[in-house]
Amino acid sequence: MERETWSKRSYFIFAALGSAIGLGNLWRFPYLTYKYGGAAFLIAWMVGLVLIGLPWLIVEFGMGKYFQSSAPGVFEGIGKKWEWLGWWAVFCAFLIDTYYTVVMAWALRYVGASATMAWGSGEAGAKGASSFFFKNVLQLSSGPDKLGAPIGTLVLCLLIVWIFIFLIIYKGTKVIGPVSQYVMIIAWVSLVVLVLRGLTLPGAMKGLNYYLSPDFSQLGHLDLWFAAFSQIAFTLSLGMAGMYAYGSFIKKKGDVNNNAFITGFGNCATSFFAGFAVFSVVGFIMQSLSIPVGEVSTSSVGLAFVTWPVAISMLPGANSLFGIVFFSALFIVGLSSAYFLAYGGVISPLMDKFGWNREKTSLIFCIVSFLIGILFTTNGGLYWGPDILDRAVAFYGLLITGILALLVVGWVFPVSKLREYVNKTSDFKVGIWFDWMVKLVAPIGLTFVVLYGGFIPDIKASYGGYPRWASNFIWIVLIVTLILSFVLQSIKTKGVSVSSTKSEVKEK
Amino acid sequence: MSAGAIITTIVMWAIFIGGLSWCSSNFKKTKSKWE
Repeated sequence: MERETWSKRSYFIFAALGSAIGLGNLWRFPYLTYKYGGAAFLIAWMVGLVLIGLPWLIVEFGMGKYFQSSAPGVFEGIGKKWEWLGWWAVFCAFLIDTYYTVVMAWALRYVGASATMAWGSGEAGAKGASSFFFKNVLQLSSGPDKLGAPIGTLVLCLLIVWIFIFLIIYKGTKVIGPVSQYVMIIAWVSLVVLVLRGLTLPGAMKGLNYYLSPDFSQLGHLDLWFAAFSQIAFTLSLGMAGMYAYGSFIKKKGDVNNNAFITGFGNCATSFFAGFAVFSVVGFIMQSLSIPVGEVSTSSVGLAFVTWPVAISMLPGANSLFGIVFFSALFIVGLSSAYFLAYGGVISPLMDKFGWNREKTSLIFCIVSFLIGILFTTNGGLYWGPDILDRAVAFYGLLITGILALLVVGWVFPVSKLREYVNKTSDFKVGIWFDWMVKLVAPIGLTFVVLYGGFIPDIKASYGGYPRWASNFIWIVLIVTLILSFVLQSIKTKGVSVSSTKSEVKEK
Repeated sequence: MSAGAIITTIVMWAIFIGGLSWCSSNFKKTKSKWE
């Protein structure tokens, strides 16, 4: 059976951009830029894009296209003994999707809450926003040992999220391509609205000064380089298996290198632009409530679900509309990443391995993921899903599989063969520098991130200040998924075996 | 906005717009199509 392809090049580019542009562009990048000296951080971030991000993107797109297979098939193609590496990344994608969709469910809950300004308006709303999120929406328990029961409204929102994902993925690239195009256009239009409104608020320029003012002395600190390289690794949705599958749907004569550069630059430009919306609002809150920047939550969950609602309640008018636009944008950027993880990260590998039908695989995957996700809608769900599990799979899992994948492609495949292959059909050629980035520079950069920001602090002290029994869950997840990856490797491939396409590959 | 923040903004947009324009100019070189 012939492999599905993107019917237009633009569909692939929008789908790849959609997968890369996610919640992190809005709630992680602007905060890191502010924290690590504005322009100084941006220099390190662009260095990370060139040294790690772009070569890694070309590797994932190119290897998927070369073997016409998703991640496990790519590594099976390099050598049967490496197939587990692809499956390990698949497990990471699967687990990330189970809690990522819960955050989207929160966003959906807030679209509804914005319509009635459920957390209050004016100063009362500003004071009540934090309590509304933690006490009313999450009904958060005091710690990970108190899991509690699922919260009905969040379960319902989560169900809606998974229905959206199923409807987009069950027909494959035929629907994912055009939907991605509309999703990205809606996301960018929403961002423009948010930036324009943000910039016209009193105090906006004060916020932007915190975002962008350069402090070059920070370039000498390892923390800045760790933050920049880790942000590049996370923002491009690499190491999550899905980009191999998306690359495998590129037509045989299709470009790889230029598409990778467009994805890299497009994603980073979106992050930079989103920072204007975030920090103009931070400046507005500082001015309206006469508080210093240190008292405003500028990252992650606190930024999205506390700081923004505070700003929305303090607006002089159209509060509900602004809230609906912001939380819809959050939902939309999350959606394109969530269906990427589902289809490229998990469903496509399962279809390639077992020859399963797309519709049934999609349905079963969505139901199983939804059921697991219910765990993270409980009172203690925030601790387990978007924090502890996130540390296991979206930090360690992603980085470790990424380092190993780059080394296997770089030294075993080897990368010079990949370079020759991608150069044949791409709009421009990459030089020998690419080989050394993949073989040496990117793995070293990522190893620095995983050691400096991961193993060293997590061994010294329990991750996130949790009790050891809870943070040890990180290592349990990594070991169990690794063992399961070897189990899957030992099963005979019943779908499209890469070995059957090897003769064709050799002819290329 | 401070002078440093303005310069940072201009330089970053020059990089992004320049980079994406260069990518788009590669389309023409190889007569590859967006669609």
